[in-house]
Amino acid sequence: MSHLLEAVDLFKTFRPRRSWPWSKKSVALEPTSFTLEAGETLAIMGETGSGKSTLSKIIAGVEAPSGGELYLNGQKLNYAQSKRRCQNIRMVFQDSDKSLNQQLTVGQQLEEPLLFNREMSNSERKQLIHSTLRKVGLLAEHAAFYPHMLSTGQKQRVAIARAIILDPQIVVADEALVALDPSVRAQIINLMLDLQKDMGISYIIVTHSPQIVKHIADKILILYRGKMIAFNETERLLTEKQQPYVQALLHEHLINHSQITGNSSAKVTE
Amino acid sequence: MDLLDIRNLTIEMDGPHGRVRVLDKVSLQLKEGEVHSLVGESGSGKSLLAKAVIGVLNPLWDVTADRLWWNGKDLLAMTPKQRRAITGRDMAMIFQDPLAYLDPNSTVAEQITEAIPAGDVTGTFMHRRIDRKTRVAQLLHRVGIRDHDAIMKSYPYELSEGIAQKVSIAIAIAHRPKLLIADEPTTAMEPSTKDQIQRLLGKLAVSQSMSVLLITQDVASILPATQRVSLLYCGQMMEHGDTETVLNRPAHPYTDAMIKMSLQAHAELEPKSKLPSLPGAVPTLRHMPIGCRLGPRCPYAQKQCVKAPLVRHRDEQSYYCHFPLNEPEA
Ligand SMILES: Nc1ncnc2c1ncn2[C@@H]1O[C@H](COP(=O)(O)OP(=O)(O)OP(=O)(O)O)[C@@H](O)[C@H]1O
Ligand SMILES: Nc1ncnc2c1ncn2[C@@H]1O[C@H](COP(=O)(O)OP(=O)(O)OP(=O)(O)O)[C@@H](O)[C@H]1O
Ligand code: SF4
Ligand SMILES: [Mg+2]
Ligand SMILES: [Mg+2]
Repeated sequence: MSHLLEAVDLFKTFRPRRSWPWSKKSVALEPTSFTLEAGETLAIMGETGSGKSTLSKIIAGVEAPSGGELYLNGQKLNYAQSKRRCQNIRMVFQDSDKSLNQQLTVGQQLEEPLLFNREMSNSERKQLIHSTLRKVGLLAEHAAFYPHMLSTGQKQRVAIARAIILDPQIVVADEALVALDPSVRAQIINLMLDLQKDMGISYIIVTHSPQIVKHIADKILILYRGKMIAFNETERLLTEKQQPYVQALLHEHLINHSQITGNSSAKVTE
Repeated sequence: MDLLDIRNLTIEMDGPHGRVRVLDKVSLQLKEGEVHSLVGESGSGKSLLAKAVIGVLNPLWDVTADRLWWNGKDLLAMTPKQRRAITGRDMAMIFQDPLAYLDPNSTVAEQITEAIPAGDVTGTFMHRRIDRKTRVAQLLHRVGIRDHDAIMKSYPYELSEGIAQKVSIAIAIAHRPKLLIADEPTTAMEPSTKDQIQRLLGKLAVSQSMSVLLITQDVASILPATQRVSLLYCGQMMEHGDTETVLNRPAHPYTDAMIKMSLQAHAELEPKSKLPSLPGAVPTLRHMPIGCRLGPRCPYAQKQCVKAPLVRHRDEQSYYCHFPLNEPEA
């Protein structure tokens, strides 16, 4: 049986600014492999700059990897195959203000992916847009609204509606919950859980919050300076003894750097 | 005496749909060296309150208050120039979006150096140069940046968001202000860094008798060192008082809901279960409820709630609600 998604040695390097042709490239992501099954939620955690966004963008096809392979249902996904990818893997960004087009109505924004990816009649499209809006807790009337007429939470719902309208197998969300109000955040998490139950969607979420991870993730992947240092079921990561860095991320304790890297270059002068 | 004393601050503005009251009789007091958290959902007026304190509100808005005092001086009676002088000397602010606030064209070292008061470094030219460099490094260490050499040479866009936020904190504390207003400074950070920064802010409050006003959306992210907390909703103060008391025995339904909706509370629930939440969404300025603005979303609301509740006190807390929770048995 093949996995829903399998990553084999994905990696990404960047050329530093002000560099010579022969200078070493900086590594944003070291070769990383993991698997994801249908209906599961994978959380990617790690401190700032550890490569979480880089990895999630590669999975969603927003950025090309420098090397490595990605398989969807056992079939290789190439970076150039954007059509197959964007039907099956969709991304929700942190900032719904920037990711939504302010000039188009909600309905037009939801129509866009359908026009590119589906053969449908006008009325079928309209129906699908309305039913998707209802799925995310909005009304059919909202199709005529422009983004600026909506609240932050409603905008995030539109972003989610746009992600699920093509009936994807995987939704990638990079810090999509962090900017939300507590009451809206709880509503959106409830919505994501409902959609997972009803449609069998798998989520890949990037977040700093161990509480959200504990609540919704089945598996956790932990990055440290571009290197995957843990990949396991949430249960096991929470109950078994972990190295200090993982412990810190999951339980919100202070990181003691010399313990991880084994050097004491992190002297603090006060 | 309170360092900052705000009584019944009201801000009204003319919008496209008529006059709206964005802050409705808000009071807040802050002592020297006190760490105070201001909690509220988006649009509640937290940033407006901060802007009223540092004096950068739109002059067209109607700002009235029974009192807006800084160190015993009436801020509303001052000329803009006098106010700017006080703000520049005594206050500093960290913003939600550090990358928008940092200068994209100069390095981190240049920007921090600029923020260090000229009087702080003395001696010969070489002396000053070296002294400045060590001070910059020290400031970076204080905000938890370890590889200061690399960061000093970087430009803001080369930094990840968390690091950029730390840099902006280093800049803000360089002139040792009396009051640091931190407008949601830690959202972009991983919890361990957040912890570090919060401890740092708490420590600075004690060692430099600097007051900190921490603005945040979530009660889960208030400073462990916070002595007092205020909860704002739609421009109205809901409850304020001693942090322990307010969080353990909230009098106001909004405080109660905020505690139940906080991230901390999620950790105790069954995985993948439904999370508690207030129904509906924060109303828009155009459709502000009359009376207690929580009314339409409040599970305890009754007819009286269309009249704005007056302040009431209970031990270490004050609240604005007709039907308080957790009342002691009579
Ligand atoms: N376009 C780019 N050019 C050069 N370096 C980059 C670029 N994008 C990312 N990097 C570097 O790659 C590393 C990983 O960055 P990434 O954005 O994936 O981190 P992250 O884990 O998402 O951090 P955060 O929690 O702050 O969002 C960082 O060191 C970053 O500086
Ligand atoms: N320049 C402005 N013109 C018109 N309305 C404004 C302006 N600034 C703020 N407001 C309105 O005043 C209210 C309070 O805004 P404020 O920025 O203080 O909210 P906040 O509590 O800081 O929210 P957030 O957590 O999202 O930063 C909002 O409804 C906002 O739309
Ligand atoms: S005054 Fe009424 S509506 Fe407002 S919080 Fe109290 S019970 Fe709820
Ligand atoms: Mg990121
Ligand atoms: Mg604000």
